[in-house]
Amino acid sequence: MKRTLLLIAATLAAVPLWAQVDFTGEWAPAYHEDGPERLPGPELGDYMGIPLSDAGRLRADSYDADRISVVTEYQCRPHSSDYGMRGLGNLRVTRDIDITTQNLVAFHTYMPAWGSVRTIWMDGRPHPPAYAEHTFQGFSTGVWEGNMLTISTTHLKANYLRRNGVASSDKRIVTEHWTRHGDFLTVIVVVEDPVMLTEPLVRSENWYLDPGQKIPPSFCEYAAEVPAPVGSVPHHLIGKNAFLTEVAEWYGLPAEATRGGAKTMYPEYRKTMPKPIKPAPEKCERFCVCTTLADCNLNDTVPSPGAAPAPRP
Amino acid sequence: MRSQILFAILIAANLQAQPPGPPQPPRPAKAAAPVDLTGYWVSVISEDWRWRMVTPMKGDFASIPVNQEARRVGATWDPSKDEAAGLQCKAYGAPAIMRAPGRVHITWQDDNTLKLETDEGAQTRVFNFAPPGSQGLIRLDGEPTWQGFSVANWERAPRGVEIPDPVPIFSVRQGGQGRSLEVFTTHLRPGYLRKNGVPYSAVATVNEYYDYHKERNGDEWFTVTTIVRDQQYLTGPWITSSDFKKEPDGSKWDPSPCKAR
Repeated sequence: MKRTLLLIAATLAAVPLWAQVDFTGEWAPAYHEDGPERLPGPELGDYMGIPLSDAGRLRADSYDADRISVVTEYQCRPHSSDYGMRGLGNLRVTRDIDITTQNLVAFHTYMPAWGSVRTIWMDGRPHPPAYAEHTFQGFSTGVWEGNMLTISTTHLKANYLRRNGVASSDKRIVTEHWTRHGDFLTVIVVVEDPVMLTEPLVRSENWYLDPGQKIPPSFCEYAAEVPAPVGSVPHHLIGKNAFLTEVAEWYGLPAEATRGGAKTMYPEYRKTMPKPIKPAPEKCERFCVCTTLADCNLNDTVPSPGAAPAPRP
Repeated sequence: MRSQILFAILIAANLQAQPPGPPQPPRPAKAAAPVDLTGYWVSVISEDWRWRMVTPMKGDFASIPVNQEARRVGATWDPSKDEAAGLQCKAYGAPAIMRAPGRVHITWQDDNTLKLETDEGAQTRVFNFAPPGSQGLIRLDGEPTWQGFSVANWERAPRGVEIPDPVPIFSVRQGGQGRSLEVFTTHLRPGYLRKNGVPYSAVATVNEYYDYHKERNGDEWFTVTTIVRDQQYLTGPWITSSDFKKEPDGSKWDPSPCKAR
């Protein structure tokens, strides 16, 4: 009897903390926020909703979309772990359990965009020293806050905040909060970037459990897509980018608002917001029904009879 | 509003999340709150900026999984007709209000009722927790309203099915500590998911999860995940999550009436 009690006590001592939640599984993304930005891609000059610093805005203004076609080093550049959550990609989460202690050692994520693999250490190990290598996925550790998994990521390479030239720096620190509500996963991503942002950028993304999901293999090949002199990097010099007001004209928005910045992200900005540089079209003309990649090129508000229905999310 | 609603309290075992150990006496929702959501909060518009900070163009359904009937109805949107009919609040109902730019003020109305007020459109939402010792609330009658009838609880720990653990050593579970506010809303008056007339119907329901998080710089936030289901106008659930930052006081509270355009 005594031996049995001891066995039970030892087993209980080894049981993982009771605040843990299992996030493992195949998760499909819901592009129900910013669908046109995340699926086909953002419009040039759209910095809306980002608390950009002057340096971040200057950097974004210099972006020329030909850069990816010309500079092959950019072509297979992975999405970083923070942008990957916002960008285009399904998600698989797996975990390592220590077979002896039954404690959770790590979560791993896989996203098909460039086959990005990431580890989130759950065993209490410290982050490496500042001089350690920076990678696109960074170094992540997680702790539990009740049913919420809070992740801290450092040692990130520079990457995207939005894939229209709005860059993040390698000095940023990213905090994530994962919560699972039934078969839905919400990931809150907080980016603190002292170079490109004036205040933390807080966004949240949603997935739904899809046990039948099969992620296809990922591959990327370099190819010069546009003729250009060797070593050239397409760009715009300061004040020379003629495409920055397109987004404001297409959607009837104030040009100032499209430039981003913290003040434009609070409700009271609407009281001081300038008038649009051009009235909005009478009805939507671009990406009007964009919720899945299949229907993002359809602009008809009311599909013609017989049109194929959009896939269910 | 409360007096207009007849609802039933289901007497049953209290299923509120409990930590392992001896059973605890049921407590009112306010006393059992695992996080404090009271106070003034501002929505920070880092997502869907051009669909939230300005009224989108007619026929812009992007990011919402609408069916063809919703597109047909949305294409007929006419804000002047809504104004003439006194229906300026159609875009301020529970399925849409947490996505609107503005501030919310959350207070406890009583021990089992959480109140959420918005300055944008001056709406009031009432989250009804089941009293201790009961399992839940069901609304039996009452007119549909913009904010509907909301049942709330502190989200329970994840668990597949409600079968007691047969072996006691496995009663210490993963995910034993919920900390989210879960709200389920029904009895909605038909309105708009987006200000440009994207419709939702009277059969729409809303599931919400309010998650509190504190950041490295000390800022307090909650993120509300909103799942709208509507068999009449949606091809599947519409899932968004909206982020609110806590403010020190109500000095920026700025009530304004509903606007149709």
